Amino acid sequence: MDKYYIKYVLGNRLRFIFYFFLIVFFLIILRFFYIQILQNNYYSIQAIDNSIRILPIAPARGLIFDRNNIIIADNKLNYSLEIVPEKIENLSMIVGELNKIVSIEEKDIKKYKRILKNKQFSNSIPIKSNLTIKEAAQFASNSYQFPSIELKETIKRFYPQGSVGVHFIGYINRISKQDLIALERKDLQKNYIGTDHIGKSGVELQYENELHGISGFEQIEVNSIGKPIRVLKTSPAKEGVNIHLTIDLKMQKIAENAFKNKKGALIAINPSNGEILAYVSMPTFNPGFFVDGISHKNWNKLNQSNDKPLLDRAINGLYPPGSTLKPFVAVAALENQLRAPPFKINDPGYFSINNSRRFRDWKIGGHGEVDIIKAIAVSCDTFFYGLAIELGIPRLNKSLANFGFGKKTGIDLPNEKKGLLADAKWKKKKYNEKWYLGETAITGIGQGFTQVTPMQLALATSKIAFPNKSIVPHIKLNSQSLRQNINLTAPLTISEQTIKWVKKGMENVTADGGTAAFIGQNIQYKIAAKTGTSQVFSLKEGEVYDEEKVPDHLKDHALFIAYAPAENPKIAVAIVVENGGHGGSTAGPIAKKIFNYYLTSESH
Amino acid sequence: MNFTFLHNYIFRKIDRPLFGSILLILIIGLFNLISANQQDIPDTLSQIFNIIIGVSFFYLICIINSRIILSFAPWTYLISIALLILVNSFGIESHGAQRWISLGIFNIQPSETLKISLPLMLAWFYQKNDYKIYYKIHFLAGLLIFLPFYLVLIQPDLGTSILILWVGIIIIFLAGLPIKFLTISFFGFLVFSPFIWNSLLSYQKQRILSLIDPFSDPYGSGYHSIQSMIALGSGGGFGRGWLNGTQTNLDFLPETSTDFAFSVFSEEFGFLGVLAVIALYTFIFYRCIWMTSKMQDNFSRLLSAGLTVSLFSGFIINLGMISGIFPIVGVPLPFFSYGGTSMVVSLISIGIIMNLYLNKSLIAN
Repeated sequence: MDKYYIKYVLGNRLRFIFYFFLIVFFLIILRFFYIQILQNNYYSIQAIDNSIRILPIAPARGLIFDRNNIIIADNKLNYSLEIVPEKIENLSMIVGELNKIVSIEEKDIKKYKRILKNKQFSNSIPIKSNLTIKEAAQFASNSYQFPSIELKETIKRFYPQGSVGVHFIGYINRISKQDLIALERKDLQKNYIGTDHIGKSGVELQYENELHGISGFEQIEVNSIGKPIRVLKTSPAKEGVNIHLTIDLKMQKIAENAFKNKKGALIAINPSNGEILAYVSMPTFNPGFFVDGISHKNWNKLNQSNDKPLLDRAINGLYPPGSTLKPFVAVAALENQLRAPPFKINDPGYFSINNSRRFRDWKIGGHGEVDIIKAIAVSCDTFFYGLAIELGIPRLNKSLANFGFGKKTGIDLPNEKKGLLADAKWKKKKYNEKWYLGETAITGIGQGFTQVTPMQLALATSKIAFPNKSIVPHIKLNSQSLRQNINLTAPLTISEQTIKWVKKGMENVTADGGTAAFIGQNIQYKIAAKTGTSQVFSLKEGEVYDEEKVPDHLKDHALFIAYAPAENPKIAVAIVVENGGHGGSTAGPIAKKIFNYYLTSESH
Repeated sequence: MNFTFLHNYIFRKIDRPLFGSILLILIIGLFNLISANQQDIPDTLSQIFNIIIGVSFFYLICIINSRIILSFAPWTYLISIALLILVNSFGIESHGAQRWISLGIFNIQPSETLKISLPLMLAWFYQKNDYKIYYKIHFLAGLLIFLPFYLVLIQPDLGTSILILWVGIIIIFLAGLPIKFLTISFFGFLVFSPFIWNSLLSYQKQRILSLIDPFSDPYGSGYHSIQSMIALGSGGGFGRGWLNGTQTNLDFLPETSTDFAFSVFSEEFGFLGVLAVIALYTFIFYRCIWMTSKMQDNFSRLLSAGLTVSLFSGFIINLGMISGIFPIVGVPLPFFSYGGTSMVVSLISIGIIMNLYLNKSLIAN
């Protein structure tokens, strides 16, 4: 091997190295071509994903006030610690560390896991809400230890009145899967990306669109550690509209307190324009339970209670109207030229069809000579049995429908029930049975199949007070726009004479000899009213109702409708006290408290 | 030959297209550094200083006698080995590896100096044993490679150690190592690779694994690879323009001034810019090989080829690394990345090649 050999080998091998490197250079160029030209779109999107974040700005929810500017639903600044679930690996470890600074309880973790299971957007989830200022400060000074936990300053719904009026206010809760589907159907889901809560019932649900506002967003550029570098674009949120209600919160509280521990419902309404002044459904619950996501325990307690606190009795409670239906039945008869004074019956204490089946009056021995005015005042069953049979169901129902029975009143609250005006056709369909004449008779005193909501009773009572006005009950103040969307019940075309007789009858209810005579004592104004008692279970023929022997939940419901002052009505009420016994004695005093407040206090 | 004569001779004879291309890359690299450092002035000034030192060395090397290079060769190797041992014991630690040694005003990186001293040593070694090339000589050359390879590997600096090994093997290959021996060694390597794998540190294993699928661990070892590819890919054909690279400005790219300097360039100047720069490098590579082929003696040819391979292997590894072909091993791009030692070593390498070319008949005679 001499050096010429080496030179020869080296020369050849150098050429080999040269071409080898050139090929590698070419491959590198191909690689750059692939990434920069062919994959350009893919990597451009990756670069944007890397650096651009769109942060929603949730609008502040509109507040809810009563008619006198008393706040009912407020927003409160709330500090919470929130976790983005995707960012953490070991929850219990982080919680353990966090616990040294802010106490995290078992229920907080449970709540976190529950929200995590149901969450709809990839928002962060609170691990601890309602931090005190001190706790928030403690966390802030140690936040470097917890890169995956964020101290958030959020606005939280707060109901300063507690459980007062919960059924019409409603409540908000975290957005559920069903809510999201509904939002998507209305194409509103984008507006809710930064929002955690949505109205679930009552005004919070009815006026969700106004209350929610329009969410804004911020487009920011972030660096590799997610730190915002600059804001590229901002579109501020438009906060929700404040809503004023027709409710008089003071009256609401008086009404709720008047129920004490009894179940039932009350509607107080301005009969001339349909404004709801008080809206009670008892028992109540605390709407605040729902804001942070209600716990299973609380939910089960509310949902399974025999008292059904979640049921809004004012528009979803269906009751037989009992004798409170009598003024409306009387109108039906008089308008059909039946039973007009001076027509009288001699009441023996019962009514019999074809001398076979007897229908008892509530008063053993009867009321003696009774015309239609006295029949209302003393609530004479015998008078109305015969009247109903002569009038017949079709004519009766037609007249009752004019008062709004059997259909929705149109109140601006969700899920109203429409009650029931039964007839032969309905019974055939429902039970496949024929209609008996006896059923016509008891329909005349508000028993049988007829079902009404307290809201319907309040509306019908208003129509007695102002037969020429067509009103729609409503809870939002100045909700003019609402009226265009609703099929108004036409003003009643009742003769003045008819209304005069019926009003007279109702006024006599609170006068001496009337069924609620004690209500009319010691007041400066006159109340027109009607008491009612509706049976929870039917007595067998010949059986006598004995209040003492019947268990509480089977006791009769007490009903009461009234308006006052009788000459110039300013307020009408409809009250149901469940298992309250006789209408006048339990429901009547509640109405009187409302009237005393509304008609005698300085402010009115 | 007096100094003036030499000076004029150099300026007349110097390969101007080659030197011009290098200057162009240096200037592009400087502008890129301004963007990569987000317009940090001190770093830019310091790089200008590095370039001045490097060009001065280049000039000095060009004018000295080739025989001096030959006689210095074994000493540079010994000094490099000594420095390596020193740095492994007392070096400055950075990124979990001891690579730098402080020389008062500046730090040097002994593993970089090996890119010159190893080819020097091997070329000298083969020149000395010119008439007795056989297995024993190749084996001894292998030992000369293994010592620095091992010292750099335990720093630990996987990238540079592999580069050193690669350059050494190519020099042995050029020196005439029989092909059958190379084949046997290759299969031997395959057999022993599991043992080599086990001796790697976990972060080195992780890096090699992440190469197979960088997206499997996007926030771990694959992160740098992915971010670099995003920078390249989002640059597209024409780039985002100078100073406008978002990946750089938002700190997604790591080591923007050193290992990933060319990622910044690729994002801002696109595929067209990349093509232009690769063309410049290709031209330099071609000139270097061309000059090597003109040389008369084995020392010059082996040394020149070794230095060329060393420079352009760094180029290949760096571009392969930022485009996701190779794992992230921390090899700078010659003439382009920020860093004094790399800059000076690259320019000295070119200087030696130029010197050997200008004196191509000196040693042979």
